[in-house]
Amino acid sequence: MRTTLALLLSAAALAAQVTPERLNNALGEPQNWLTYWGDYSAIRHRELKQINTANVKDLKLAWIYQTGRGGSNETMPLVVDGIMYLTAGDGVAMAVDAKSGRELWQYKHKYPAGVKATAVNRGFAILGTTLYMVTPDSWVVALEAATGKLVWQSEMAPWHEGTHYASLAPLAIKDKILVGISGGEQGVRGFIDAYDAKTGKRLWRFWTIPLKGEPGGDTWAGDSAQRGGGPAWMTGTYDPKLNLTYWGVGNPGPDLYGDVRKGDNLYSCSLVALDPDTGKLKWHFQFTPHDTHDWDAEETPVLLDLDWKGKPRKLVVQANRNAFFYVLDRETGEFLMGKPFMKQTWAKGLDAKGRPILDGNAEPTPEGKRVCPSLAGGANWMAPSYNPQTKLFYFQVRDACDVYYAAPPTYVEGKPYWGSVSRGVTDEKESGLLKALDPLTGETRWDFRYYRAPWAGTLSTAGGLIFSGDEDGYLMAFDAKTGKNLWKVSLGTRIVTAPITYAIDGKQYITLPSGGAVVTFTLP
Amino acid sequence: MIRRTLWFPPLAAALALAAHAQVSVPLGAEQGLAVFRSNCAFCHGADARGGRGPSLITAHMAASQDAEIRGIIKNGIPGTTMPAFGSLEKDDLDPLVTYLRSLASSGTPSAKATGDAEAGKAAYAANGCQTCHRIGFTGGLYGPELTRVGSGRSLEYIKESIVNPSADIPAGFEGVTVVEASGKKSTGIRINEDTFTLQLRLPNGKFASFDKTTAKSVTVLKQSLMPPYKLSGKTLDDLLAYLESLRGSIVTGDSAGKAKGIQ
Ligand code: HEC
Ligand code: HEC
Repeated sequence: MRTTLALLLSAAALAAQVTPERLNNALGEPQNWLTYWGDYSAIRHRELKQINTANVKDLKLAWIYQTGRGGSNETMPLVVDGIMYLTAGDGVAMAVDAKSGRELWQYKHKYPAGVKATAVNRGFAILGTTLYMVTPDSWVVALEAATGKLVWQSEMAPWHEGTHYASLAPLAIKDKILVGISGGEQGVRGFIDAYDAKTGKRLWRFWTIPLKGEPGGDTWAGDSAQRGGGPAWMTGTYDPKLNLTYWGVGNPGPDLYGDVRKGDNLYSCSLVALDPDTGKLKWHFQFTPHDTHDWDAEETPVLLDLDWKGKPRKLVVQANRNAFFYVLDRETGEFLMGKPFMKQTWAKGLDAKGRPILDGNAEPTPEGKRVCPSLAGGANWMAPSYNPQTKLFYFQVRDACDVYYAAPPTYVEGKPYWGSVSRGVTDEKESGLLKALDPLTGETRWDFRYYRAPWAGTLSTAGGLIFSGDEDGYLMAFDAKTGKNLWKVSLGTRIVTAPITYAIDGKQYITLPSGGAVVTFTLP
Repeated sequence: MIRRTLWFPPLAAALALAAHAQVSVPLGAEQGLAVFRSNCAFCHGADARGGRGPSLITAHMAASQDAEIRGIIKNGIPGTTMPAFGSLEKDDLDPLVTYLRSLASSGTPSAKATGDAEAGKAAYAANGCQTCHRIGFTGGLYGPELTRVGSGRSLEYIKESIVNPSADIPAGFEGVTVVEASGKKSTGIRINEDTFTLQLRLPNGKFASFDKTTAKSVTVLKQSLMPPYKLSGKTLDDLLAYLESLRGSIVTGDSAGKAKGIQ
């Protein structure tokens, strides 16, 4: 912990200001958790090893904080110099003392009269001394970190019941706050926005679905792009050197009925690389052209600098919902590799450019078509991690298949726009995996099997550990090298976010929100 | 999807879908068929002649009012596995009811049991069915409660459950065999399970908990824990008539008699 202590002291000297430089070097402050993913590259690995393979079995409860709210707790807390900032859904947020779990302040979004919006929330961004979050009725809200006082709020799009909403954690880049919109089943047209961190003024908007006449607009039949979906409901990643931000784009709408939107349907189910200063598209890569299985590409685009075929290369990797693991060049978007990481029955493989070669037998039908993976996907938004010591990529797999139905939908504002439904198969039980994969080859190093398909993410530490959660509520620690389960504790309800780690006064903590609670462990 | 609630069980999918709307189309049976296939066929069978749910081509259905059918679909049947499709909008509900109506009037109603229910009741006792099954509060807990099996399952399904129980094992009644580290072997109905633990109901009706990480083996049985019965044609017919007559109400938290306490 010696390095950690030194870092702690230098961090304290910086006062509470979270400068863009600190965000660029977030991995150099392992005692803090400064962004949704922990740092811009989203590797979710921390150089903390007080808790390690030898003593993880001794982890003890440090504290539990009850948010007083039930339901799905998808937040990823930030920890900044001893204070934890978290959101609790429905426009509620709080700060707690990360050492004791005692509350410091609470904030409640004021809904305009007549607005009855509800949504989960994935957490804060911090920049300078200000916190940023989004609300169910699609506002970006800036709060003073010291008090929870409202600084400004800016509307992403006017609220209409049953249309778009917002749930992601914003991404702070330089002097801007980047956010995206949700509502891929509601017939929205998706976008990614940047707001002035100081004033809340909107600086640019990138429409994820181009219209006729715009580049990519010809990939949508008729005027289907107007309701084309393509939400951006997960926080992007950022490479400060290339000055590019990487965002996954969600499914096209209607989800399961593709006949009304013939074409590739750009940029749905794609990764887009944007210039954060202007919102201009640098490149895109579409994983699932003309998707009809709701396979959003919202899975984390993790930025790795590795030797690719003997040469150092800047990569972006993603375990996609469509059951393939992808490696792209993140300067150019060039496809380098794509391999299935589980049983899939929709593509015969990928061609040299990474485009799927279709099986031709996977389209949803009126009678129902059995396809693997399920609608929820082989992977989904659950946070993966990369451990530089083992050089392995760790992620959670949903091993399940669905029967997909299709029926022509009619768009009615405020109503879901699915085009039919999917149902779990009954002849094969779903389950889940924690998978350790070599990102250079796509080969599995080890698997740990869960009873149910998980919605929880992972965390990697220099203590040789991978932490994860499962659908039955276990927080678990594994040996990063072997996949051996070294510790577990039941938190009593399904886990729908990922563990984080931080340190205060030389003591390392592991925190995981679960249900209405935030639960924190440390060594005795 | 799965930004909001995340968990997307088939039913939630059905409910999420349920509101996809069709306006100003003539409310034909064709459209109702599409709604039926994606929401109901799973339990009531592709031809609506029943499966895990009852046949919907019955004299009873033919005699029902549209409003009654609509009410059942909107509200479900509490205490049974018939779910409430509360968010199914008029634009889907009307064609669906039209479709169910067209079935009830066109098809020949599904057969009713021909045996003697009284004799069947005796056969039920003679064959020891009550050691594993409950009717009301009487009987064993090892198998599913049969209080309402006549309303809940098609006749074909009930028949198959007796002569070939392994053909379809309802969720919540799968058999599991555990061999513990000591070599002790236990078989029971799986009540719950997670990545590390397993809870069974043993044949004596008691719960038992197992640690899967130390167990030698945990095997999910393909065979039903109910033995197949080879009964004479008459006994089987009588038994079926008895089971079909079981249409009692399942007591739920809402419907349980509440004793008057201190007000
Ligand atoms: C998960 C299984 C399941 C699904 C899905 C399901 N049902 Fe049912 N349904 C049942 C069961 C079981 C019953 C009988 C319940 C009882 O009375 O005990 C039933 C009963 C009914 C009845 C009453 C029949 C009668 O004779 O009184 C109607 C009508 C009905 N369902 C219609 C539908 C429709 C329409 C749908 C689709 C929108 C549907 N059900 C979907 C299981 C299901
Ligand atoms: C040893 C215990 C046992 C005995 C004895 C037994 N059953 Fe069962 N029964 C079960 C179990 C366990 C199931 C659930 C698994 C399955 O469906 O095969 C079941 C399922 C059923 C079902 C299907 C219920 C549903 O809702 O799906 C019916 C009907 C049934 N039994 C009738 C009978 C009758 C009639 C007898 C006597 C002739 C009988 N059982 C004797 C254990 C038993």
